[in-house]
Amino acid sequence: MGKKNDREERGGTRRDFLKLAATGAAAVSMAAPQAAEALEFDLETFLQKHFRRMSDEELEALIQRLERKYEQKYGKEFNVKATGPVDDVLFGYGLDVSRCIGCRRCVHACVEENNQSRDPEIHWIRVLEFEREAVVRGVNLEEGDAYFENPVQPAPGKMYLPIACMHCEESPCTNVCPTGATWEEPDGIVAIDYDWCIGCRYCIAACPYGARHFNWSEPTLSAEEINPDIHIIGNKPRTKGVVEKCHWCMQRVRDGRYPACLEACPVGARKFGNMLDPESEIRYVMENKRTFVLKSELGTKPKFFYFF
Amino acid sequence: MTAKEQGEGSAGEYHPPSNQLGTWVVLGAAFLMVLSLFSVRMSQDPNSSRDYPSRTLPPGPPASLMAEPEMDEDYWPCSDCHEGEVTNFKVREMTEEHENRAEFSHGTNWCLDCHDAKDRDSLHLSNGELVSFDETWRLCTQCHSNKLADWRAGVHGKQTGHWRGKKEYWSCIACHDPHNITPAFKPIEGKPRPRCPDELTVDGNQWNKDMCRSISKGHATHEARDPEQGEKEDGHGQEE
Ligand code: HEC
Ligand code: HEC
Ligand code: HEC
Ligand code: HEC
Repeated sequence: MGKKNDREERGGTRRDFLKLAATGAAAVSMAAPQAAEALEFDLETFLQKHFRRMSDEELEALIQRLERKYEQKYGKEFNVKATGPVDDVLFGYGLDVSRCIGCRRCVHACVEENNQSRDPEIHWIRVLEFEREAVVRGVNLEEGDAYFENPVQPAPGKMYLPIACMHCEESPCTNVCPTGATWEEPDGIVAIDYDWCIGCRYCIAACPYGARHFNWSEPTLSAEEINPDIHIIGNKPRTKGVVEKCHWCMQRVRDGRYPACLEACPVGARKFGNMLDPESEIRYVMENKRTFVLKSELGTKPKFFYFF
Repeated sequence: MTAKEQGEGSAGEYHPPSNQLGTWVVLGAAFLMVLSLFSVRMSQDPNSSRDYPSRTLPPGPPASLMAEPEMDEDYWPCSDCHEGEVTNFKVREMTEEHENRAEFSHGTNWCLDCHDAKDRDSLHLSNGELVSFDETWRLCTQCHSNKLADWRAGVHGKQTGHWRGKKEYWSCIACHDPHNITPAFKPIEGKPRPRCPDELTVDGNQWNKDMCRSISKGHATHEARDPEQGEKEDGHGQEE
């Protein structure tokens, strides 16, 4: 709430001007190299309203249009949706660092669920490997190795820390976005309207967790690989030049299901639920376990808690 | 001055490259068009929040227990062999049958602390109450009572399905082998690591794995920090 008011108080004219300038410049610099290959230019998409400004009818029309488009492109049935948040829900996530074995099943389940590009490869979850001895003195993310390979997991003497979007309450990424293409939803999920992202990558620079990823070239995703259960501001297939990141499987959790990474975890280290519900797993974690968040000194207030 | 006059006039004194002005006009017009299109988009304030309709999800049925693993058909029912036999309480290596239990390890326990001597088709609690093979958690949590609260809350172990709606508890033996608990969770094979962003070049060099590794550790040097680990590496991502 407070945040939204702040934004409004900052006033219209100056902000609008800056945005205009930024987008104008971006349009000129981006249009040139893209023009040749990617200009299957689609005026409807270009003129598409911001997700948060669309009326229900416009949203319905967009859903129809996208379903037609994807069915044509991939030759199978799609279920495109724009499911809203559930009342009285604020999501939170917990991860048991003492049980994580670094097997990366969550990473690959996420790729499959959320239609990440296979080539170039994009992983929303990065699993860092640390020396157990070093971690006792404090977690220094710089020391983590995201490229480890071992015959079996866990390797002796190591511990693991999977990192993805922290869905911060004070999210620096949403504050710097010049087009308002990324924001925090009422249920706490930090979402992206991919059609409004202009690829300026300010958010990538602002995110202290390296959770945002940029599509440097056209993502590839085959018809068999694509997950046809699609949320417009969730796992909708991305295009070249936009930023993407974890959205806590919006297409699943807003229907009451667990995120894909949680279900894939063989040791049960991942916990997800409604922080406003005293009966939920995440509340139990917060009340009974030792929890910590990463880079708490930055005041970003992550809703992703590590516990042990 | 009409367009015609202007055209005639310029034809006389204006020499190639005469199309330069035209290019600029076209470019300028195009730029203005792009700008105006963007201002159409900008006139919609994205920061005003969406009016979502009120939505609820029903709580769903009480959580259920995941089906316990099926018993080996050759072994079930256990009473086929064990009916009326003389029970051998001796701690020993199984040689005649159940050879796969040879490497038994579970603290100070032995078979008949869990399996019932008279009714082999059941397990038992310490007070003698029989527990079916479909409720093994009752057995486990009798001794591991410190895990019970966590497991009930869905925090030790795992639940799948719905955070709101139907959810399923995983039973203890889905993750732990009661006959061999060292280590508590058997190591498993890891999934492929991320590939290096090899489509990028840095200082004219294609990225390679060692650079990936060192960059990920915050040292943008060309040498791997841990050469021993570097050697163990193989395949995947070794793109030159
Ligand atoms: C094919 C016949 C056969 C079946 C079926 C069988 N057992 Fe046995 N079981 C034996 C024999 C023989 C021994 C003794 C092995 C030894 O002493 O080397 C034994 C020993 C045991 C013991 C060791 C304690 C004791 O009394 O000697 C336990 C516990 C046990 N069985 C449990 C089971 C359970 C539980 C099942 C069902 C899942 C089962 N058995 C099915 C043949 C069988
Ligand atoms: C800590 C309790 C515990 C102890 C001690 C124990 N068991 Fe079991 N056993 C179980 C449980 C629980 C199951 C059912 C789960 C399963 O299928 O693994 C089981 C299943 C079995 C089965 C049938 C399924 C299979 O995996 O083959 C056999 C045979 C068996 N036990 C034999 C033994 C023998 C022999 C010993 C002693 C060497 C023993 N058990 C000790 C708890 C125990
Ligand atoms: C009769 C009591 C008893 C029962 C029943 C029992 N356990 Fe145990 N368990 C023990 C003891 C004793 C140890 C050894 C503790 C130690 O070494 O510190 C142990 C150890 C373990 C450990 C390893 C603990 C560690 O620190 O690494 C696991 C995992 C475990 N049990 C799981 C189970 C499961 C699953 C069941 C149900 C099938 C079960 N136990 C049933 C007594 C029991
Ligand atoms: C989803 C998998 C999973 C399930 C289900 C599960 N555990 Fe565990 N458990 C683990 C993992 C992973 C560890 C950590 C092993 C390690 O530290 O090496 C563990 C550790 C343990 C330990 C010993 C270490 C400790 O933390 O004290 C005990 C005892 C134990 N579990 C008992 C149980 C019991 C009893 C149940 C059922 C009520 C159960 N577990 C269900 C995955 C599971």
